[in-house]
Amino acid sequence: MLSYLLATLTFAGVYALLALGLNVIWGMAGMINLGLAGFFALGAYASALATVALGLPIIVGIVIAIAFAAAAGALLSRLTLNLRGDYLAIVTLGFSEVIRLIAANEIWLTNGSDGIPGIPGPLRGTLTPLEFNALSCALLFAAVGLAWWMTERLRRAPFGRALRAIRDDETAAAVAGKPVRRYKVQAFAIGAGLLGLAGAAYAHFTSYVAPDIFRPLLTIYIFLALTAGGTGNTSGAVIGAFFVILILEGSRFIEPLFHGLSGAQGAALREIIIGSSLILIMRIRPQGLLAERPPKSLRTQ
Amino acid sequence: MLKLNRRAFLSASAATLATPALLRAQSGAIKIGTLTPLTGVGGTYGPSMRDAILGVVAQVNEAGGILGRQIEVASEDTQTSPEAAVRAARKLIDVDGVSAILGTWASSITTAVAPLAWESKTMLMCVSGADSITKLPHQGFICRTQPNSILQIQVAGDFMVAEGATQMAWIGPQTPFAASSIDILEQIAAANGAGMESLIYEADKSTYRSEVDQILRGKPDFIMLGGYAADSTVLLRDIWQAGYEGKIIGPAYAVNAGLLDTLPSAVTEGIYTWEGAPAVNSAAYANVKAILGVDEVDPYSAQTYDHASLTILAMAAGGDSSGDTVRQNVRSISQGDGQIVESAVDGLAALAGGINYSGASGPCDFNEIGDITGTQFVFKTISGGKPSEYKRV
Repeated sequence: MLSYLLATLTFAGVYALLALGLNVIWGMAGMINLGLAGFFALGAYASALATVALGLPIIVGIVIAIAFAAAAGALLSRLTLNLRGDYLAIVTLGFSEVIRLIAANEIWLTNGSDGIPGIPGPLRGTLTPLEFNALSCALLFAAVGLAWWMTERLRRAPFGRALRAIRDDETAAAVAGKPVRRYKVQAFAIGAGLLGLAGAAYAHFTSYVAPDIFRPLLTIYIFLALTAGGTGNTSGAVIGAFFVILILEGSRFIEPLFHGLSGAQGAALREIIIGSSLILIMRIRPQGLLAERPPKSLRTQ
Repeated sequence: MLKLNRRAFLSASAATLATPALLRAQSGAIKIGTLTPLTGVGGTYGPSMRDAILGVVAQVNEAGGILGRQIEVASEDTQTSPEAAVRAARKLIDVDGVSAILGTWASSITTAVAPLAWESKTMLMCVSGADSITKLPHQGFICRTQPNSILQIQVAGDFMVAEGATQMAWIGPQTPFAASSIDILEQIAAANGAGMESLIYEADKSTYRSEVDQILRGKPDFIMLGGYAADSTVLLRDIWQAGYEGKIIGPAYAVNAGLLDTLPSAVTEGIYTWEGAPAVNSAAYANVKAILGVDEVDPYSAQTYDHASLTILAMAAGGDSSGDTVRQNVRSISQGDGQIVESAVDGLAALAGGINYSGASGPCDFNEIGDITGTQFVFKTISGGKPSEYKRV
């Protein structure tokens, strides 16, 4: 049981990193990124290939993953600077499908749809599964803590204020002399870097990546996490991610309470529970569990 | 309007997390897990795969269980997603404490779950065909009842040559077995002086007109389909519309009853299918039919019936319910000179004298890396929208 809880918390940590990354891109700067799964995959594959094919240490793999995802984020946002709303959503969704198709078809690099098994994890094999899960959980929590601290500082800094201005009215921000284009690219790159970090963490924790993992459903879960937690609120992103995992995993334990369900009915019931919980939270707290409040600036503290 | 404050939210969360502890209280029973696709692409197969396992366990429990204990089944849904399946497998292993996970379907899911299985000494029995699965460092904790894709393609390629193919073609989506399928067919074609062309397409498209044009440019006289039911339905329609008059062969899981219902019989006339032959005349097969209440058992449910029977017999033979016991004994009860048995209950009765389990999916003999050997294949041909047996090898 403990091992399961630790593993679940580790997955929640991965989701929290994703939600924090999305919060910078969408919550703070207002750019819709439906390509989360693509950046997640980029980070996962970059770190997996660096450690498996090149034999580099895990920490180097993670740095490479962040750098790759951030560079891809900067490039993609530079190319789409003039797109907003639906159009940016379409391009980013397309980007994530392109990444998935490259992963499936460039067999020489990614091993195709077989995926890459045997990705090393920290001390995996020398620790028992329980100890490994405990270590992973601790490392993920440290990473989430660090990411939270950094993005929270970002949010309170003048940079964060400028991003909010861009989000709410880009033209007004430009008129006020804010370097809108540069800030948007920077915000996208920082967020994408966090998504890449999440991918690397996932790859090293589960030891396996394959194109099938990076389907758009994951993107939906993270959008739900951020909206449920509170868009634009850093703590809300983390809480929302834990909340989504709580619903995803908690619903497993409700199904056995209903006796006499067939396999398909039980699975459908679980999906109904997941869906209706998320609708309920949106209905009860449309602003999310933690609403975005204008932060105090760093200097006045 | 209802307010959900932070305290109410936290206490609700704590209550949900505490639920498993209540469910775990009923111990003493032996736990085995099913991890089949109940939703998603594999959702058409998963429910009956699970029911076949539940049926075997119910029969054994009725006959008194094993090792003086009853058997309990914990079921989870893979959602046909490796990410969800890993979380589900963690729950089966860590919360339910299962000693075997049975019935993983998609190859990527089996590969994702495999490390959890061997690290926690849990047996994993799957119906996935990718060659790479049994090459993982699984220490014997994986075995599969599905013939690997190399064997499947070799059998079908030989069939194509025997039926007079001079210019072969393979067309399918990117899957773990696409590249190896093409390699094998190229070898077979070269060895028999035939030509061979291949094309990999993107699944989930609504038309394959241009792909069909491209593959027909090589003037093939025998095409092998490499996809699943949904894309093969679209592809076959487009091949027919393009006026192709040569032969076509597709795996039976792709050219299945649903596809034959959807397409007019003119489109599917004369297509060959092939599959690992379930032992349709065996007592085991009849038992699965009775459990599921159907006339024809799909190959995956026949296999999971065997998974459950093998697991239970291996536990009984080893005198212990751990995953390691299943690993050590699965071969001693499934092959060799013992008495042939076709159900877990019969096997338990005859266990003392030595048994050789032979199941609904075939003889269930495994080699040292966990691949099935000795599978029979059946070729069928479609006529008037109905498959009929053509030949067995």
